[in-house]
Amino acid sequence: MIVCVAAVGQQNNPLYIQSFTEADDALKLHHIVHCSLDVVDERVNNPKKSGPTLNETFLGMLYPTENYKVYGYLTNTKVKFILVTTDLDVRDADVRNFFSRFHAAYVDAVSNPFHVPGKKITSRIFADRVRNIVKSFGLSSTG
Amino acid sequence: MIGVGKMKLYSNVLDRPLSKGKQEVSLSAFAFLFSEMVQYNQTQVDNIAELERRLEDAGYAVGARVLELLCHREKGNRRETRLLGILSFVHSTVWKVLFGKVADSLEKGTEHEDEYMISEKELLVNRFISIPKDMGTFNCGAFVAGIVRGVLDNAGFPAVVTAHFVPVEGQQRPRTTILIKFAEEVLRREARLG
Repeated sequence: MIVCVAAVGQQNNPLYIQSFTEADDALKLHHIVHCSLDVVDERVNNPKKSGPTLNETFLGMLYPTENYKVYGYLTNTKVKFILVTTDLDVRDADVRNFFSRFHAAYVDAVSNPFHVPGKKITSRIFADRVRNIVKSFGLSSTG
Repeated sequence: MIGVGKMKLYSNVLDRPLSKGKQEVSLSAFAFLFSEMVQYNQTQVDNIAELERRLEDAGYAVGARVLELLCHREKGNRRETRLLGILSFVHSTVWKVLFGKVADSLEKGTEHEDEYMISEKELLVNRFISIPKDMGTFNCGAFVAGIVRGVLDNAGFPAVVTAHFVPVEGQQRPRTTILIKFAEEVLRREARLG
């Protein structure tokens, strides 16, 4: 179950953050996303010699908390995508697939000439697409 | 198995699905739109420097979006961190997507460490434009300079990019050069990365 997705800009300004649970702990999810930004920065600035190369876009699992797992993805323009999920047995390929579809929706939203780079993404179509992607992620990993 | 993968034959031509179409836009449509853009900006400003700045800003927005789009479409999907990497990306991939061919040449400046030049015999945007004498050194390639600046800036390489005419003997029209001057921090980072 995906609980939260977020897109964060170059100066760590939030571009899009959306939680998908009915519970009221949206603030806690925002906090988790915020902490994971530090992990992303650390990964980018101090690459492990044996780990993935410096230029990979998919960063993998950032860190596990009590019952959430956090995945990160970095685009060419230093925009970070964060995914928070409660699934215990998520496959790597599924997460990569999710991020590539999320990236496609993001590129389409940013290509809008009326979108000001750096401000929040307010397109309703983008929100609908993300909701569909999240829904199909849940189905493919449990089914 | 017989019949698998056989295309459906449509009896009525109206029932056929629309083809995807070419991925290109007609040159005349673009030239028309660009000339209107230049004319519109001309009425809004008082001097040439302002006109160049406006064209550059328009190009900057295009560059930012082109970078996102190309990063996503490229199968390799690697983030460019080296100077030469991003320059060759602009020189080949970006030019190919925008103008249908790679740029003519990429050179390193001789006087300064931080200057690079991309040259083109005839910029696509300048093909149907001739500059009147009283406009001096104005170059509509400022739009393309803006695109390059947008790509470099959003990839993490802040730079000042300008477009210049370079006269070449034996040719009627001068060659266009896009001059890229990187910021201090880019050179420092490049030196640190080794």
